[in-house]
Amino acid sequence: MDIKLSHKLLSQFLETKATPKRIASSLSLCGPTVDRLHKIPGDTIYDIEVITNRIDSVSAFGIAREAISILPQFGYRAKLLNNPYQLTKKDLGALPKKPPVKVIIKNQSLVPRFTCIALKNIVVKPSPKATQAILKNSGLRPLNNIIDISNELTLKYGQPVHVFDLDKIGDRTMIVRASKPGEKILTLDKKTLTLKGGDIVIEDGQGNLIDLCGIMGGGLSHIDKNTKNVLLFVQNYEPKQIRKTSLYTQQRSLASQIFEKSPDKEMVLPVLIRGVDLIKTRASGTISSNLIDIYPQPFKPHFVKLSLKWLNQIVGITFKKQLVINILKDLGFQVTSTPDMLTCQVPSWRSNDIQIKEDLVEEITRIHGYFRLPSVLPTSMLENTTTEDILATESSLKHQLLNLSFTEIYNLSLVSKRLFNQAKISINPSLKLRNPLSKDHEYLRRSLVPSLLQNLKDNQNHQKKPLYLFELANTYLPRGERDLPEENPTLVMATSQISFRQHKGLVESLLNNLKIDNLKFKPFKKDSLTWDTAASALIYSGSKYLGTIGKINPQVSNNFELKDQVFVTNLNVSTISQIKGSTYQAHPLPKYPPVIEDITLNTNLKIGDLITKINKTSKLITQVIYQDSYNNKHTFKLYFSHPEKSLTQKQVNQIKTNILKII
Amino acid sequence: MDQKIKNIQQKLLKELSLTKNITQLETLSVNYLGRKGAVNQLFQSLSSKEKAVHGKDLNQLKNNIESSIKESKTLLLSVKSKKKLDITIPGIKPPEGHLHLLTQAIEEVEDIFKSLGFVRRRYPEVETDWYYAEGLNIPKDHPARDDQETFYINQNTVLTAHTSNGQLREMERVKTPPIKMINIGKTYRRQASNTHSPMFHQFEGLMVDKGINITHLIGVSNYFAKAYFGPDREIRLRPHHFQFTEPSFEVDINCSVCKGKGKKNNQACTVCKAGWLELGGAGMVHPQVLKNGGLDPKQYSGFAFGWGIERIIMMKHQVTNNLRNLYLSDLRFLTQF
Repeated sequence: MDIKLSHKLLSQFLETKATPKRIASSLSLCGPTVDRLHKIPGDTIYDIEVITNRIDSVSAFGIAREAISILPQFGYRAKLLNNPYQLTKKDLGALPKKPPVKVIIKNQSLVPRFTCIALKNIVVKPSPKATQAILKNSGLRPLNNIIDISNELTLKYGQPVHVFDLDKIGDRTMIVRASKPGEKILTLDKKTLTLKGGDIVIEDGQGNLIDLCGIMGGGLSHIDKNTKNVLLFVQNYEPKQIRKTSLYTQQRSLASQIFEKSPDKEMVLPVLIRGVDLIKTRASGTISSNLIDIYPQPFKPHFVKLSLKWLNQIVGITFKKQLVINILKDLGFQVTSTPDMLTCQVPSWRSNDIQIKEDLVEEITRIHGYFRLPSVLPTSMLENTTTEDILATESSLKHQLLNLSFTEIYNLSLVSKRLFNQAKISINPSLKLRNPLSKDHEYLRRSLVPSLLQNLKDNQNHQKKPLYLFELANTYLPRGERDLPEENPTLVMATSQISFRQHKGLVESLLNNLKIDNLKFKPFKKDSLTWDTAASALIYSGSKYLGTIGKINPQVSNNFELKDQVFVTNLNVSTISQIKGSTYQAHPLPKYPPVIEDITLNTNLKIGDLITKINKTSKLITQVIYQDSYNNKHTFKLYFSHPEKSLTQKQVNQIKTNILKII
Repeated sequence: MDQKIKNIQQKLLKELSLTKNITQLETLSVNYLGRKGAVNQLFQSLSSKEKAVHGKDLNQLKNNIESSIKESKTLLLSVKSKKKLDITIPGIKPPEGHLHLLTQAIEEVEDIFKSLGFVRRRYPEVETDWYYAEGLNIPKDHPARDDQETFYINQNTVLTAHTSNGQLREMERVKTPPIKMINIGKTYRRQASNTHSPMFHQFEGLMVDKGINITHLIGVSNYFAKAYFGPDREIRLRPHHFQFTEPSFEVDINCSVCKGKGKKNNQACTVCKAGWLELGGAGMVHPQVLKNGGLDPKQYSGFAFGWGIERIIMMKHQVTNNLRNLYLSDLRFLTQF
C-alpha cells in the first residue's frame, strides 16, 4: 500500500532535528521504504510504501513511531509527541446519560469493537486552509469540516472513521448485521450496489441500509450543509469479510484496505476522542450523548520468547544484549530477561504481525541495520551437481543451432485462438486462462508452429536474406481436471528462401551433432491442414518419433501472407534428450587409402532407399554421397576401402557390377 | 656413368631456368627425385656391382638436385605478386546465428551459481495453489494475494507469478539438506502496461542447511552482483515483507552510473534511486515453509531469493525504457546481440 505523508502532519508526532531527506533515507534502510520525496511550498511529502503486514505504520503517527526507533541508529535524537494511546474515556469529560443511538448487533464477530458518540450544534463549513492543504497534499479532496476531520484522523492514526448525520438515521436505531443476498445499498458516491450476502451492513430503525461497513458510507445518512447533529463512528471490523466485500464490489477504498489488514483495536477509542476534540474546535459541536463502546473481547497481550544465542546464530553476528533490549523497547515491546532468554510482550499494534521468534529477529536486525551486516560465503557443498538431462540437452541444442546460423526468438506462451485458426491447428485441447487480460493472450500454446509462422511474416519485409529462426520453449497439454498439464519442451526451426534439402540438412546436422543416428523420414499417414503432406515427413530415429519436417500447407502460408518458400521442423526435445548419445567414440583412421568412384544408376527407386540398398551391397562401401539427378538417373560418389589391405580395381568393379544387378 | 650424371644435371639446370611457379617446380621435383624419377631410374638400371661403385656419386647427384630445387623455390617465393589485392574489399561473412539475450543471461546466471555449487533445476510453470501460495504461507483470502496478479486456469491451478514454487518441490526432492538450488523459469503476471510483459523470467535461489544465516545471503548476493555486473558492485539489504520468508529483504545493488552517490555532475542520477537500484526480493525461509517442505526448522535454516532475468539484463545494459522489447521477434533487434 502506498501512502502520501505530509511532513507537517508527521511533525505533529515526531520531534527531531533530522531533515526530511535524512528521515527518508533512514526509514528506507530500516523500516518503510520512502520511494520519493516531494518538496512543495510550505511542506515536504513522503511517498511511502507500507508493506501488508505493517498496517500499524500506514499513518503519520505510525511512521513517527518507526522513526523514533530508527533515527537514533543514525545518530539523531527523536521523540514521540501526542501519543494517542495515553487517552482514556475520562478525557471526554462528564457525559450525558442518554445513549447516542439504539444499537443492536446481530453478529458480534463481525464487529470486534464498536464505538460512537453524538455531537450537537454542528456548523458545517469549509475546513481551515492549512487543513485543506494537508489533505490535498496527501491525495484527498477537501469537502467540508466534518468529512475532512474523518479523513484527517485516518491520515494521522491509520484508523478509518465515519460520521453520520444523526437526524437521518431512522428512529435513531442501528442494526449491525450481515447482508442478505440481493440486498441493494445506495453508497455515498450515489451508486447502487447489489450485495452478495454476508457483507457487514447497518440498517436503521426504518429498514434502510445506511452503511456498507468498512467499505463506503451510505448515501442516505451523509453529512450535508444543513447537518446539525452528527454521530462520530469509529469501529473495528472482521477483516476477511471486509476484504471479500471490497473485492467483489470493486470498492478498494482506503478504509477497506486498512480494515482488511486487522488494524489495532486499542486505537479505536483514542481516535474517537481525538475526533471529538476536532469537531469541537472546527465545527463548534458539543457532546450530546453518552459514549457507546462495545468491546466484548478486550485486547490481551501475548508474549514471544527469544534466545540470544539463537538470534546470533540466525543473523550471523554477536549482538550486545542491551542493544537488543533497547531496540525492542523503542518499538513498544516490554522485555524481561534471563541471561540468554528474552521474554517480549508484544504491543497491541503489532499483535497480528509478531507471532514467532523469527519476527523478533526481523525487528532487531532491521533497526540495527541490515546494511551493517558482513558478507560471508556459505561453505556447505553438494555431493553431486550434475545438471538435469533436459536442461543440458536444451543448452546443447541451442548452441548447435547458433552454429547452424539460426536466430533465437522468445515468443509469449500466451496466444490467441485466432493465431491457431490461421495455422489451421485446433486450439483445443489446450489450457485456457480463467482471467485473461485480452483475447490476444487467452490460451497457453500447445504448439510453437503458429508463433514461428507469425515471426517469419513479421520479418519477411525487411530481411532480404534467407531467414533461419528457432524457438525452444514449453508447449502445454492439459491432462485430467485435477492434474497439472504436461509441459513439453519443444523446438521449432523455421526457414525461408532455402530449399527442402538445405533445411533437411540443417535438421540432420543438428541431430547428428547430438549423436542421434539412424534418422528416418517417413511420409504422413494422414492428411494435414497445417502441413503440405506432399512435401513433409515424420522424423524418426529408429522407431522413436522425434517430430515433423516439411512445407507449410499453401493455405496456411496464405493466411500468414508468407511470400517465400517456407520449411518448418517441429521436434520433441524430451525424446531427443532421452536418446541423444552422451560420449564420443573415437574411430581409428583407415590404414589404406580408399578408392573413390562415381556411379550413375537409372531407377524409379527413391534416393534414400537407393542409398540403403547400395550400402547393403558390400561391407567394403564405406560412404555413399549423393551427387545429383537427371530424370531417373542418379549419381553417387562411392568410397571403397578394406581395413586390412588396398583394394584392387578388379574388386571395386565387381562391387559396382553387383550394385547394378540389384537395381 | 659420369656423362649420364652430367646430362641429368644439365637437363635439370635448363628446366629450372624455365620454371615459372611453384607448381611447375613440384612437377620437376617429382620428375627427378620421385619413385619413378630420373635419379631412381638411373639407379635401377645399374647392376648390383655398379650400384656399389656409383652409389656414392648418385647420392651426391640427389643432394645436388635437392639443393638446386630448394634454391629455385626460395627464389620463386621471394618474387612478389605483381597484382595487388584490394585489401579494403569487404570480407564475405558466413551466416551468423544469435542466441537471445534472455538465453545468454540465463546461461550466465546458471554459470555464476554453478561456481558457488548451486544446481539448476526446473519446476512447473503451471502449478497447484499449494506449491504456489498456500504452502508458501499465503492463505487463500490473504491480502498478500493482491500483490501477485495471478493468472488462473481454475481455482486450484495457476500460472506461476514467481519461481518460488520450486522451494517446496526442491525440499521434497532432496529430503535431507544441504539444498543449493537455482530454479530458472518462465513466470506470468496479470499486468497490463506498456512497459511490462505478461510473461517474464525469474531465477530462484534456495539454500538450506544447518547454520545458514543472513550474512550468507549477503555473501551469495554480493558474489552474484560482482560476477554478473562487475567487481566494483555490491549489494545491501533493506526490510521488506513476504509471507514465505522471515525476515524478508529487498536487495539493492549500487548504481554503476553514479557509483552509488545518487548524483552525477551535480544532478540527480537518472538511472537509480539515491545511488541504489532494486534487484529483487529475498529472505530467510519461513519456518512454516520449511515444515511444509518436510524439513525441521529446529535443525535447518535457509535463505531464498527470486530475481528477474529481464530486470538484471536491463540493469546491466542500462536499458531502462521497456521490458517488452525483449519479446520482439524483429531480427533487426535480435541480431544486435
